[in-house]
Amino acid sequence: MDAAVKPRLMRDVVIETICAAARKDKDILFISADLGAVALDDLRRDLPNQFIHAGIAEQHMIDLASGLALSGKKVFCYAMAPFITARCYEQIKCVISSMNLPVTLIAVGVGLGYDHATLTHFTPEDIACMRALNGIEVLTPADELVAAEIAERCIANPAFRYLRLDRQVFPFLYQNNAAQVLEAGFGVVRPGTDVAIVACGALVHKALAAAETLKGQGVNAGVVDLVRVKPIDGAGLAKTLKGYKSILTVEEQLLEGGMGSAVMEAIVDATGKLDWPVKRLGMRDKFEVVNGDRDYLHGLYGIDTADIVKATAALAK
Amino acid sequence: MAETHRINDLDAKALWLRRQVWDMVIAAKNGHIPSCYSCTEIVTALYYGGVVRYTPGQAEDPQRDRVIVSKGHAAMVLYPILADIGYYDTSELNRFTKPGGLLGMYADVRIPGIEGISGSLGHGLGMGAGFALAARHDEQKHRTFVLLGDGECYEGSIWETAMFAAHHKLDNLVAIVDRNALCILGKTEDLVELGDLAGKWRAFGWHTVEVDGHDFDAVLGALDQIGKTGGKPLCIVANTVKGKGISFMEGRSEWHNKMPNADQIATARQELGLV
Repeated sequence: MDAAVKPRLMRDVVIETICAAARKDKDILFISADLGAVALDDLRRDLPNQFIHAGIAEQHMIDLASGLALSGKKVFCYAMAPFITARCYEQIKCVISSMNLPVTLIAVGVGLGYDHATLTHFTPEDIACMRALNGIEVLTPADELVAAEIAERCIANPAFRYLRLDRQVFPFLYQNNAAQVLEAGFGVVRPGTDVAIVACGALVHKALAAAETLKGQGVNAGVVDLVRVKPIDGAGLAKTLKGYKSILTVEEQLLEGGMGSAVMEAIVDATGKLDWPVKRLGMRDKFEVVNGDRDYLHGLYGIDTADIVKATAALAK
Repeated sequence: MAETHRINDLDAKALWLRRQVWDMVIAAKNGHIPSCYSCTEIVTALYYGGVVRYTPGQAEDPQRDRVIVSKGHAAMVLYPILADIGYYDTSELNRFTKPGGLLGMYADVRIPGIEGISGSLGHGLGMGAGFALAARHDEQKHRTFVLLGDGECYEGSIWETAMFAAHHKLDNLVAIVDRNALCILGKTEDLVELGDLAGKWRAFGWHTVEVDGHDFDAVLGALDQIGKTGGKPLCIVANTVKGKGISFMEGRSEWHNKMPNADQIATARQELGLV
């Protein structure tokens, strides 16, 4: 990537992509439950008939989306992560999943993204609950180019999808291979030999920082960016991890049913075994209202760069 | 071309529908008879009273009006009608809830003429608002009718959509509330008071009329107001009797999904004129 090009918010990139397609396809409809974005201002101004404000009413938003999708519309629903998942989970299950409708759910601020808002705005369980839904595809980009590819895919091939977006700007991870990464469902963003650190979203970037620190300690850690949490190509992932001595998964989720679980399940289901020593790093049950930014919270919950370094070094021994 | 269909003897058709539902439920030992009987006149009026536009035998006609029975436990009341208008073979009625059969206790989109899945309450109005908004978006003239239970109106999602539909002036959307005043555990007014439901719908911006839901003239008169509401969505609060037509079931909440014994079956068959 050209160093002069500054990375941007994934939500703006995704909405811009959808907006560009919507200008040519009036069946693309975008529903917001009162969440905005700079790029959304353009869509609202230029395509008022294709933008719907649902009200701060996520349950209604999903039911409405089902009727629109059943009428042949390509529907994108957009809200803060906690409110487009658990808040309207029953609606998603009953009317989107049960009828396998082509609706894309776009969540912003996944995990601990809304750091200062604390517990009501955290989604430490969204991977577990959303991947449990029948027929869903769960995508969690850590790079805006992959996010844009996902948006293109959602437009070209509408299906029931959950798109997890961060609300931070991240450095680029890829150059021209975002499409291949999306196709595979994961990308090796740093090759290594000792420990493979598998992460998604914000923690991919922390894993990269950890790997750099570990280099100074004589540990050659690789980092895998898991873009698609469901379905996972377990055989492909196992093949990619074959050269490593051990695996660390790290996530901004409760460990029960989260990304690490998904990775282990996929590898075991595809190969019938786990050939590596494994450690899963994630949030534990007991967490409470604490003020602080995301980095502080990562440290508190044992998933910050230093924790990744420590866990990786322990595996490498 | 989807058209309305009007028959002369709506009372006879309603009796036919009650008999069909009775036979299906008794054969399957499964289903919700009283919930179907409180809305029998309403759905008969929709399909045979010259209201809903459809093309017999062509469930996918894009110009058809959409009908959603959101109180999904009563969605089976449509099954005999949808067979009668040629959407599927009447033999399916004999296979209700049976393995391999088309028709389940709750309705789903595999069934021709069923527009959306049902079973969980509170989804049909939002889905219907989606149909209505899509119709406007596509400049299509079809209307959407959503039959709600009064107990279903406890669900908050109903009121989220009620607000939205009024704001968007979805006058191609009709909500019919089957106000039979009963839940599973008793009377709505004793459990959690619904009170002046019509007043609540009016307060949410709907053109609202209250009628006797078993009186065809009253129901059809209310439905005739579609498109004459000054841009407001239309709500019809239809006062009904749960279990209407079977003396021992009428107004009795315990019959929600209870199966009658042999004596009760004999009594009901007499009352339905089946013997």
